Amino acid sequence: MIELKNISKIYEDNTVALKNINLVIRKGEFLFLVGPSGSGKSTFIKLLIKEIDESNGNIYIAGRNICNLKSSRIPQLRRNIGCVFQDYKLLPNKTVFENVAFALEVIGKPDYEIKIQVPQALKLVGLYSKSNSYPYQLSAGEQQRVSIARAFVNRPPILLADEPTGNLDPGTSEGIMKILSRINLIGTTVLMATHDRNIVNSMRRRVVELEEGEIVRDQKRGVYGD
Amino acid sequence: MIRPRYFFSETFTSLKRNFFMAFTAITTVAITLFIVGFFAVIVYDIQGIINSIKSDVELAVYLEDNISEELKKYIEQEVISWKETDAVRYISKEQALERFKKQNEGSDILKEIEGNPLPASFEITLKNPEKIDQVALRFYDKDGNCIEGVDEVIYGRKYVNTLFSITAIIGTIAFLMVIALLLAAVVLIFNTIRLSIYDRRKEVEVMKLVGATNWFVRIPFLFEGFFEGFAGSVVSIILLYFICNFLLIRGERLIVDTMRIKELAVVGSGNFLSYTYIGVVVLGGLIGLLSSAIALRRYVKV
Repeated sequence: MIELKNISKIYEDNTVALKNINLVIRKGEFLFLVGPSGSGKSTFIKLLIKEIDESNGNIYIAGRNICNLKSSRIPQLRRNIGCVFQDYKLLPNKTVFENVAFALEVIGKPDYEIKIQVPQALKLVGLYSKSNSYPYQLSAGEQQRVSIARAFVNRPPILLADEPTGNLDPGTSEGIMKILSRINLIGTTVLMATHDRNIVNSMRRRVVELEEGEIVRDQKRGVYGD
Repeated sequence: MIRPRYFFSETFTSLKRNFFMAFTAITTVAITLFIVGFFAVIVYDIQGIINSIKSDVELAVYLEDNISEELKKYIEQEVISWKETDAVRYISKEQALERFKKQNEGSDILKEIEGNPLPASFEITLKNPEKIDQVALRFYDKDGNCIEGVDEVIYGRKYVNTLFSITAIIGTIAFLMVIALLLAAVVLIFNTIRLSIYDRRKEVEVMKLVGATNWFVRIPFLFEGFFEGFAGSVVSIILLYFICNFLLIRGERLIVDTMRIKELAVVGSGNFLSYTYIGVVVLGGLIGLLSSAIALRRYVKV
C-alpha cells in the first residue's frame, strides 16, 4: 500500500528530519509511528500527503510514485488519504454536520450522497445526535471524533493520524482508539504517530520507532519501548 | 464536478459569517472609489472650463484704412481656406465704433473721440487655439513687417501661452492624482481582502487537506472579492450621484450665474457622469477580483 524507498528530508535551514527511510506498510495494516518530539514523525506524515516535498528517495502509494506527482494531481492523492490532527482543524463557524459534509462538498460530491454518507460517518464515531452542534459546544474528545468522521467520510483507503490523542485524557483517548480500530477493521490502512506510551502498549500493533530521523526499531505487535 | 450553487451559497454564507471583514472591504471600496470618481468628475469639469476659455482665444487682424475691397476679400478667402480656422468675422470700422461705444457707455472717453479712429478687422477663432502663434505669423513677411493691407495682429501672445502651459500642468497634475488615488484604492482594497483571506486560512487549510482542487479553493474567494468590489462601487455611485447632483451642479450654476462664464456647467451636461458611474462599477468589480486573485497567489499557496 505505502512504500518508502531511501526517503530523506532536509529542511531549508539544514535540519535533517528524515534520513534514508525504507519502509513498507501493507494494506489494512495498523501502524504506530513512535519517537520523541523532533524525531521526524510529523515530517513523515506531511510527506505522505505532499504537504512538503522529499529531498531524496521515492514514495509509492498504491504502486504509484507520488514524488513526481504534478501539483494538479495532489488533490486526487489527498482524497484517498484521510487525515486527523492533534488540533482537530475543525471549522468553528460550521456545525458538526457541515464540518463533515465540507470534506465531501469540496471534492464535488452531490447532495444526495452527502445526505447518506455524513450521517453514516457521524454514527461511526457516535456523534450523530450532535449533528447540529458547533465545535465549541463539544468536548475535546468529541471534537476529535468529528475530525475522524471528516477524515473518513469519503472512505479513503488510508487514514493518517498525527498525535490524535495528544490533547486528550486517557479515558477519552481510549474512545478515540476504539474508533480508529473499527476503521482499521473495515480494511483501512491506519498510520498513527504518537508518543502516548499507554495507547501503544495496550494496542499491540506494529510499531516503528524513529529517532533523529532514522528508523531504530520496527516491531510486529510491539510496545512503546523502554 | 463544478457546482455553481455551492459556490454561491458558500460565498454568501461566508459573507454573512465574516460580516465584519466583508463590511470593512465594502466600505473601503466605497470610500476610495468615491474619492477617485469625485476627483475624476472635478478633473473633467476643470478640463471643460479650460476648453471653454481656450475657445475664447481669438486673433484680431486690424486692417489698414485704405485697404482695397479686393485685397480684403482675398485675405478673407485665404483665412477661410486655412485648416486651422474655425470662423472668421469681419468687423467694419462702423461696427468697431459701435462696439466701443457700447463697452464704454457713460465714460468720458467717448466725448473725446472725433470721427472714427478705430480700424476695421478680421476676428479669427481657431479650431486648435494652440496653433495661434503659427497662424499669426502668416500676416507677417520675412522681415517681420505686416503684409500689405494689414496694420496690426493682436492676440495677447503672452496671455495665451501662459494659459496653455498652465492648463497643461493642471491637466497633468490632475491625471497623476487620479492615478495615485486609484493606486491607493487598489492597495487598500487588496489589503482588506488579503486580511479576509488570512482570517480564513484555517478554512483553506482544511479544504486543501481533504483534497479540494486549487480552483475550488480559489473560486469562493474570487466571488467574494468581486462581490465586495461591486457592492462597494455601488455604494460609491450612490454617494457620487447625490454629491454631483445636489452640490456640484448647483454650485456651478451659482458660479456661472455670478461670473457669467458661458458653458461652464459641464457636470450636468453630456454623458460624463454616466460614464463615471459605469467606470466606477467596472473598476470596483475588477479591483475586487484582482485583489483576491493576487492575495490568493501570495497568501494561500494553492
